[in-house]
Amino acid sequence: MFSSVHSMSLHGINVREVSVEADVSEGGLPVFEMVGFLGSEIKESRGRIRTALKNSGFFLPPKRITVNLSPADQRKSGSHYDLPVAVSLLTAMGLILPEMLSDTVIAGELSLSGKVLSVKGILPMVLHSRKNGYKRFILPLENAEEGGAAPGIEVIGVQSLRETLELLTGERKPEPVHIDISELLKRRQRHSHDFCSIRGQRAAKRAVEVSASGMHNILLVGPPGGGKSMMAKCLPSILPALTEEECMEITGIHSIAGILGSGVVTERPFISPHHTVSSQALSGGGSIPKPGDISLAHRGVLFLDELPEFDTSTLEILRQPLEDREIHISRASGNYTYPADFLLAAAMNPCKCGYYPGQRCTCGETGVKKYLSRISRPLLDRIDIVSYVDEISFDELNDDSVKEESSETIRARVTEAFEIQKKRFQESKIRFNSEMTGDDIRLFCPLGDKEEELLRESFKALSLSARGYHRILRTARTIADLDHSDNINCAHLSEAISYRITGKGIWDV
Amino acid sequence: MSETKIRYICALEPEFPEKLKNIPNAPDGIYVRGCLPDPGKKTVSIIGSRNNSEYGRGAAEYFARGLAKHGVQIVSGMARGIDGISQSTALKSGGSSFGILGCGIDVVYPEENRLLYERILEKGGLISEYPPGTPPRAALFPQRNRIISALSDVLLVVEARQRSGTSITVRFALEQGRDIFAVPGRITDPLSYGCNTLIADGAGIATCPEDILEALGLIQGGRNKHRKLNLNKFSGLSETQLKIIRCLDYNPVSINEIASKTGCDLSDLMLELLKLQLLGCIENAGQGFYILKLEVNGDGSR
Repeated sequence: MFSSVHSMSLHGINVREVSVEADVSEGGLPVFEMVGFLGSEIKESRGRIRTALKNSGFFLPPKRITVNLSPADQRKSGSHYDLPVAVSLLTAMGLILPEMLSDTVIAGELSLSGKVLSVKGILPMVLHSRKNGYKRFILPLENAEEGGAAPGIEVIGVQSLRETLELLTGERKPEPVHIDISELLKRRQRHSHDFCSIRGQRAAKRAVEVSASGMHNILLVGPPGGGKSMMAKCLPSILPALTEEECMEITGIHSIAGILGSGVVTERPFISPHHTVSSQALSGGGSIPKPGDISLAHRGVLFLDELPEFDTSTLEILRQPLEDREIHISRASGNYTYPADFLLAAAMNPCKCGYYPGQRCTCGETGVKKYLSRISRPLLDRIDIVSYVDEISFDELNDDSVKEESSETIRARVTEAFEIQKKRFQESKIRFNSEMTGDDIRLFCPLGDKEEELLRESFKALSLSARGYHRILRTARTIADLDHSDNINCAHLSEAISYRITGKGIWDV
Repeated sequence: MSETKIRYICALEPEFPEKLKNIPNAPDGIYVRGCLPDPGKKTVSIIGSRNNSEYGRGAAEYFARGLAKHGVQIVSGMARGIDGISQSTALKSGGSSFGILGCGIDVVYPEENRLLYERILEKGGLISEYPPGTPPRAALFPQRNRIISALSDVLLVVEARQRSGTSITVRFALEQGRDIFAVPGRITDPLSYGCNTLIADGAGIATCPEDILEALGLIQGGRNKHRKLNLNKFSGLSETQLKIIRCLDYNPVSINEIASKTGCDLSDLMLELLKLQLLGCIENAGQGFYILKLEVNGDGSR
């Protein structure tokens, strides 16, 4: 008898429909074969499925058994076909009525005991199923919370093959799982890093706040032990809370990459690759590419600690995603586009010994230049703000009288700045001040006479480059937004200039 | 660059600089691009460490600017650090400068001074005793130092370690009977060790360009005149600006430190810092550090 079960296949972050067909027929030698352009993990699944069936109390008949995953011209990989194949076999054996399978999608891995194990990429599959009009999705219980985040489709978690059978024969009442994301996101997040635990560093904290407010890429420079990494780790805690849409987007990507625990992502990602990271790991790689670090950092922060230690050619990869906010990867199997809209934060020592331009520095100007020349210029060109994170003195460290601002307070201000930008850019494609191009800047950053004069003089006196011009205005716009000011005034402008000239020596101002 | 012709001037030719003739181990001839130093004008060589500090950069710029404004020609070795900084500054301030090379005259070394190589031909020249095409070799550089010292009336050392190429030039200058000045530094600073030792051994103290100008006979009573002006330098500044100036130094101070010392609001502080930079009172040393600017006659020009 012939049967067919719906399942989904993953191609990068795209999902396609797959039907899992099974046929059990008389005649010929007893054989169990699986076809349909399968990856080796699927070919191996025969053994798993046969044993799982046996341990659940079903014996495969000694007949000619053929399983086909269609369409047959698309390569399939992943472990989530075990459960649909087993269900398809049970249907072909006549244990489940084919009508029970209409409008139902199944995915899950089997263990030899018949237990259903969690798989990757559930949320995108569920969302795709809903889009294609399916009413029900049967998945591993461990993934139920993730799948349940998708509205408008009945998501049922199962623990074992036996349970799945009972569900499909009607012996067991289905208990659909539904997660209300908005409720989940509203709940107060406890961040592992909070700004209130960083003492002093007023200037750097302010710079980080401005960076977060307009999604300006930031570079933190300073001696070892100043708290650069700590500061960057606090960034997600001051970025506005995720929206439902963003939450689904991030959860999908993380699910496919296999780094999602259970449930959905409720905090903005903070991805910090080690400086030995390969270009494939950063951009996404594999014959069907897995999302790389830049996609995992989507809507969050990509933090590059010890920037000069990174391989230059690896960092060059960031150039295009930083402009387009997505990455295009071409492989023999096709072209893939992954989202990569992140805030880039980088940290580095100012020189080899780490103390330039303080008096303790032993490198001298030449040594500093040599050290800095390791960083890719085009990458630095995409950074708007440079801030120096000072060494912290013992007194500051030991002073309990000063109450530092908590991330929650800063986040409130950043969120307000986000709202202002949302209003400003509602009719254009961009979302943040940092994305403004020449025309936007002309439109949204008009300067008064006094401000123009200040900018002109600064350009002359500080020998700023034309390249810095737009960056200064963009940053000034964000500073004005933080100040709830419609116009950019001299104070806003000078703060923006200060962030620019802090980079003197690192880039050609 | 190749448009400027290379000339060879033999020691017997009348054009050959007088100052080079009467020294021990005088060169037989020199290759020249651009022009030779004007014998009617005073010449000072400013030399120092290739790996200078921010203080050294400030001092080199300060002296080169101050001397160039009085028509003094600056001679140096076109090297990284103090040499290149003082020569570039001299040219920028409208003065003339001459580079003495330890390699062929058509060889650019170090690469980072390429711009200086091009600019110097407009308002000065390059001199080498080695034939064109000679690659830069460590052994050649000490020898060319005798030409640097020989061409100058005063040798000014800005920053030098205990053992350095600078000490070789100083030795030549002593042999040739040239005046030596050194810029004093902190006693704890290894980069100022050489200078402080020179002063201890009897070299002149260079605390402002006027010290040198006086030694050259170009001005009289320069020091006191300079001091008076220096006092007026910060007149007309606001209370906050003076507060900021007071916590600055000729060594870089970070913006965080300024903020905590003055207690200013950050945004105000950044505005005031920018204004002070535009007034030419302070300078950005990079990475959020600021230093007081050593200024000639407090006129605020760059």
